[in-house]
Amino acid sequence: MSAVQKGAVNQSQKLMVFVLTMALYGLATLFTELIPSFQVGIVEFSVEYFLFIPLTLAMLFDPLSAALGAATGELVFSEIMLGQFGGLGELEKFLTVTIGVYVAGRLVTDPRNRKMVGIAALCGTGLQLFMGMVVDILKVQLAVSDFEAVAGLPESVYATEGFAFLNDLVFSGILFCLLPTLYLVPRLYGKIEPLLGMQPRTKEVCPEAISWKLPVGCLIAFAVAVGAELLAESGISLIDWEAGWAESSAALAAGMVVAAAVAVAAVLVMRMRTQKVSGEKSV
Amino acid sequence: MKKKLTENILDKISIDFLRNQVLKNAYGNDDTVIAAMDPRMLLVWYLFFGLVPWFADDIPFLLGCFLLVALTTKLARVAGMVLFLFVVGIFSQTGYLLVVTLLFGGDASAIGPLLILTLKVATVSLASVTIFSGLDPDKLADGLMWYGCPERLSFSISYAYRMLPLLMEEFQNILLSYRLRGNPPAHHTFAGKVRYLIYQVKIIMHAFYPLMLNTAKRSRTTVEVLEIRGYRYAATNREVKKIKLSSLKLTNNDLLFLSLSFFWVSVTVLISTLI
Repeated sequence: MSAVQKGAVNQSQKLMVFVLTMALYGLATLFTELIPSFQVGIVEFSVEYFLFIPLTLAMLFDPLSAALGAATGELVFSEIMLGQFGGLGELEKFLTVTIGVYVAGRLVTDPRNRKMVGIAALCGTGLQLFMGMVVDILKVQLAVSDFEAVAGLPESVYATEGFAFLNDLVFSGILFCLLPTLYLVPRLYGKIEPLLGMQPRTKEVCPEAISWKLPVGCLIAFAVAVGAELLAESGISLIDWEAGWAESSAALAAGMVVAAAVAVAAVLVMRMRTQKVSGEKSV
Repeated sequence: MKKKLTENILDKISIDFLRNQVLKNAYGNDDTVIAAMDPRMLLVWYLFFGLVPWFADDIPFLLGCFLLVALTTKLARVAGMVLFLFVVGIFSQTGYLLVVTLLFGGDASAIGPLLILTLKVATVSLASVTIFSGLDPDKLADGLMWYGCPERLSFSISYAYRMLPLLMEEFQNILLSYRLRGNPPAHHTFAGKVRYLIYQVKIIMHAFYPLMLNTAKRSRTTVEVLEIRGYRYAATNREVKKIKLSSLKLTNNDLLFLSLSFFWVSVTVLISTLI
């Protein structure tokens, strides 16, 4: 039996972790999407942050499957099932959640060590929030093309985003990520793994230690997340360029209208014909 | 006033209410015009209205797109809760920014760029509300699969679609059993109210402990059943995919919808070039 390595995870177990994290985190984000947040003074209290679920699972199981499962769960349950899918922005959220959870999961080599779990939980949350903040700032800068020209806008964006980051880190990070993770990880350790037919994670069987690959991979993924937003800026020039080769843009637009009208008419004719045919058939 | 506010919030948090809204949204409208359309065509449509507004900058075009997606949202008969969240989301993204800009000494000149930003965000998110709320998730998963999306994603959507009511009910049951056995602190005074809130949050956190164990068992069963039926081979097999996707059919209605949208968009482009 030495061929079956102790602690090695096979494909279907990875799928199990994926499904588990997806279902749980998806359910949690679904609620947070629906519960309105309320503010006391300038501090926003919201039950925004259920990141402790994927954090806990990433520390106990295969981190990559848990991270991908969490990001997919959020996408599917709270965005697609509720119809809140936001296009490009979702890619950014998907990647930042994946990175945050994955890094936190990799940091922990022994889930019984509370200090390690706590540090990893805060690191993962902080990383995710920080990347979210950077992307948010960039997004406003790029979407509003004359960003610098609008008086008061740059300062306000930096101030609100920076404050939101600190607020989230202190409030959600400690109350909703650190404490529940510290509560759940030691309690679940050794209990939940047998349910999936796995060995509990120990120092010996944990995934190999963090190497230089991890930060590099994270940086690349983050670059992709930022790139998705940068696309918006380059897209504007793309359209201008396209309009450039046409003799005049008004003529081009008029042509488009005619083409569209023809298309509508063709479809209407086709529709009438098929209706006639089906009507004859039924008679 | 304060008492009313907390009661109001607690009312909204009632899991039954949330569950009803979610279920209504996910399962309630499969008889609309939008739901009857082909998912592949709708995804192409979404790709346009989800991406192009980000790149465009002139107001007539954006306004035209916005009107069109508003109309399709109406056609999709989206649940009220989702629309409410949409409005809140728009305001929290841009309206808030406007207020803060004014605070930092900006003037009315900030309204122009922010109006464009608002229109962009609104158009993109309404387009997605139309597609993802109007289409039944199973169909959506098929459409995504046809375009060669990772099998995992369409599996996740179908799985979520079927498991969601079950999961919600289970979570509610666990919460209720915690409440039955628990002894909540008195909440007449303000300090008591804070303690009561902390107690509620704590219960929700604790409820995830049994829920995690239960879901772990369930996900093992799911995966094992999938394996027995050869899921991982089927996921990559072309024949299986063909059989699965044979139910998709393009009809004249789809073409009509697509060409009408195209017509409308080109009219707005014409208007914006003439102005």
